[in-house]
Amino acid sequence: MKMADGTTILRRNRPGTKGKDFCRWPDEPFEEMDSTLAVQQYIQQLIRKDPANIELILRIPENHDEGVWKYEHLRQFCMELNGLAVRLQGECHPETCSQMTATEQWIFLCAAHKTPKECPAIDYTRHTLDGAACLLNSNKYFPSRVSIRESSVSKLGSVCRRVYRIFSHAYFHHRQIFDEFENETFLCKRFTQFVTKYNLMFKDNLIVPILDEDAAPGESEA
Amino acid sequence: MEETTSLNQNGGQMGPQTTQTAANNKQNEEPQQKNHYSIPGILHFIQHEWARFELERSQWEVDRAELQARIAFLQGERKGQENLKNDLVRRIKMLEYALKQERAKFHKLKYGTELQQGDMKPPVFDESSDSQLDQDQSYVAVTNSTWKQGRQLLRQYLQEIGYTDRIVDVRSTRVRALLGLNNNNADQEENLNGGPVNGNESNKRVSESQGRRTPAKKSQPNSLTEAMMLDTEAAVIANLSFLSNTDVDMDDDEDMSDDGDLDPNVEMEDEVKQGKKEGEDVDALALEVFNELNRLSETEKKQEIKNVVPPEWDKITSQGPKRALGFGDEDNIDATLGLGELAQLTVNNDAENTYDLASSKESFRKTWNAKYTLRSHFDGVRALAFHPTEPVLITASEDHTLKLWNLQKTVPAKKSASLDVEPLYTFRSHTSPVLSLAISGTGEHCYSGDLDGVISCWNVPNSNIDPYDLFEPDVLNINLCGHSDAVWCLSVLYSKQLLVSSSADGTVKLWSPHSKVQLLNTFSSEQDGIPSSVDFVRDEPNRVVASFASSNCVIFDTETSKPVLRLESTSQDGVNLNAKKIYKIVCHPTLPLTITAHEDRHIRFWDNNSGKMVHSMVAHLDAVTSLAVDPNGLYLLSGSHDCSIRLWHLDNKTCVQEITAHRKKFDESILDVAFHPSRPYIASAGADGLAKVFV
Ligand SMILES: [Zn+2]
Ligand SMILES: [Zn+2]
Repeated sequence: MKMADGTTILRRNRPGTKGKDFCRWPDEPFEEMDSTLAVQQYIQQLIRKDPANIELILRIPENHDEGVWKYEHLRQFCMELNGLAVRLQGECHPETCSQMTATEQWIFLCAAHKTPKECPAIDYTRHTLDGAACLLNSNKYFPSRVSIRESSVSKLGSVCRRVYRIFSHAYFHHRQIFDEFENETFLCKRFTQFVTKYNLMFKDNLIVPILDEDAAPGESEA
Repeated sequence: MEETTSLNQNGGQMGPQTTQTAANNKQNEEPQQKNHYSIPGILHFIQHEWARFELERSQWEVDRAELQARIAFLQGERKGQENLKNDLVRRIKMLEYALKQERAKFHKLKYGTELQQGDMKPPVFDESSDSQLDQDQSYVAVTNSTWKQGRQLLRQYLQEIGYTDRIVDVRSTRVRALLGLNNNNADQEENLNGGPVNGNESNKRVSESQGRRTPAKKSQPNSLTEAMMLDTEAAVIANLSFLSNTDVDMDDDEDMSDDGDLDPNVEMEDEVKQGKKEGEDVDALALEVFNELNRLSETEKKQEIKNVVPPEWDKITSQGPKRALGFGDEDNIDATLGLGELAQLTVNNDAENTYDLASSKESFRKTWNAKYTLRSHFDGVRALAFHPTEPVLITASEDHTLKLWNLQKTVPAKKSASLDVEPLYTFRSHTSPVLSLAISGTGEHCYSGDLDGVISCWNVPNSNIDPYDLFEPDVLNINLCGHSDAVWCLSVLYSKQLLVSSSADGTVKLWSPHSKVQLLNTFSSEQDGIPSSVDFVRDEPNRVVASFASSNCVIFDTETSKPVLRLESTSQDGVNLNAKKIYKIVCHPTLPLTITAHEDRHIRFWDNNSGKMVHSMVAHLDAVTSLAVDPNGLYLLSGSHDCSIRLWHLDNKTCVQEITAHRKKFDESILDVAFHPSRPYIASAGADGLAKVFV
């Protein structure tokens, strides 16, 4: 892209770039992004600018394919959830959290194994994220990042349902970690609004009361 | 209606009241009007005409819709034919290539020398059939017109392959694949004639393809080989002539919808195969539900279950047929039952364009083909490194993770011919993008540097672990603390277990990661600014060379930490120093030669003794980002933001091969390249989140 003064902006992180300057380049308007990864670029650009502006981050560009939009957002969620997993690794041990639970209602069995296993919470977390990475990068289901088959879009819901349990475990069992992470990233809030906006999960399953302050009455008691 | 009834009567009888006044007026104004032209009569006529036109219009519209459907249908047909053609061309290429390999293998076995594929000459081959074959080959490549020639060629190909047992496999798979297409056609025709609907179709194909398979048992006597060859040939020819036939009245639109049907099958089969993905989750959830039931029986909870169960049971019920249907898919059979090497070749098709039959200048030149695409990272892959001996590599990504891949543990390719490698292990501990990576000389450890300045040392898990094993906290060994800003480059010295790092904090540090005192030395060069990349001077292991923001490089003595020599960029060649920024610096494994990759598309070569630049060349269309020298020091591999990797002869600095490998994210594309230290693998890492391995 040429600037008015004729110099070209190259959006690159050259070796030697300082941490604070990483990806710090002028925003590129979505319409001008011509790469096949434009949606990812755009979403990350918005998040870097202000992770708290969830409404803007989730606002789909005009006339854009909704399947791709949902898919790229979910990729971004799973990627950022790594951060929560890393924090949990320090505190969530098999000895203390031998099962994946949130409230006492449910024990989640880890679906990553040949037969579902009662993996300890930390392994459930890792396995679920690894499984999501495999699924979302699967050449079969998601061969393209520019257009997504309807049949594959339907897979997104189950990924959402599973990774959400990481939030809920952290919230109910490692509240301090959850809060620190959430204050930095607003990830659970964004995720909750995301799955609500696109109907990817049942409201009843959204057990972390993150939207209390701005949720419509009746949504929060779950 | 009222007008109709008054058709032949005089205007005295008026129509509806609403028109009465107007009509009256008219009558008064035109009293001489002839009887035949009564107002109601005119109105009726007009109405009649209008109805007629309406009818015609709707007929036209129907015609138009029909024609549009016809157009869509024809377009679909065309697309289907194109797909079919491409598929066949691809398969022919595959056969051709496999044949070449077979020939080379045979030749090597017989004469013990490599075969020069490109320019095979009679002196080398005394068998006349071979040279004749060669001619045929070029003929086909050039004209590709007469099927007779093609038939002959095919027969020879088949014969040549047929001398091995493989004929049976190849024959069965090929015939099935090809006849599979015919099956489709048959189905389609039936569809046209109002035959079975889609649902039955797939089942039918299952039985059909199974039927086809029966005669192709491996245990068949050799005497049948020839017959089978002819059979195969016939089948191939049948397909080809079908292709050449411009007057096919096959319904390819159906073909496409048929494809559409097939796809979900593949996918579903996939689902079953991946068990852990969906199928098991269903089980998991079912179990959850049952646990739930056992423990709590409040009605409220039951409500919850009711809500949850239905969508899940859907999946379960649809699971049964999936397994069966998967079998009917030709591609699956292709992959599983036998093309063997051929099946793998499909993966190479993209890169096959670079496989130039005519241009092999040197006999020993290897052509690299894309074989594995490693997909699992959510963001750009910044670095990758091969295990020193195993077919194993590790990738480091901006998604904060590292992943371990075993190239020999490909996911059993049930689903398609492509080789999918799934990561065996995901290293999590970085809390910022991982930028750099190195593996120790034993392959037991790896080191990764991130944007926050943390260098993590990992114990590399066994390359045969189950990807979904339990977490072992001791995989993360230690963090090397010392850098206060992004660690952009790491390099190891195998012989001494040393690690060198360069960081945006302005320093280069030398580490002995596994001894008590880890940090051995720190190097920096005030005048040159921030280091961008670093490497050991391989022929003088007590030296490291680092490139700096100034576009100069400095060689340091590791004992004294003093600069020994500067490799100075001059602006003589008219390029602004700033534009010559160095992305990567590597040293030749045996020669006193340093190689640098520059933003200005150049690769430059430096003499480590004199400090002088010995060669400079424009190597890419955009910034050169990454370099790797093969273990023998003969070839150089470079990657660039122009999306391509290039292989260079270090002797004469000529480009031997170019491969377009990655897509762009913002203005970045390829971020790292690597040679396997002991096996014939090369790899590239891209901003598109993929890593690719070439063989
Ligand atoms: Zn826990
Ligand atoms: Zn598990």
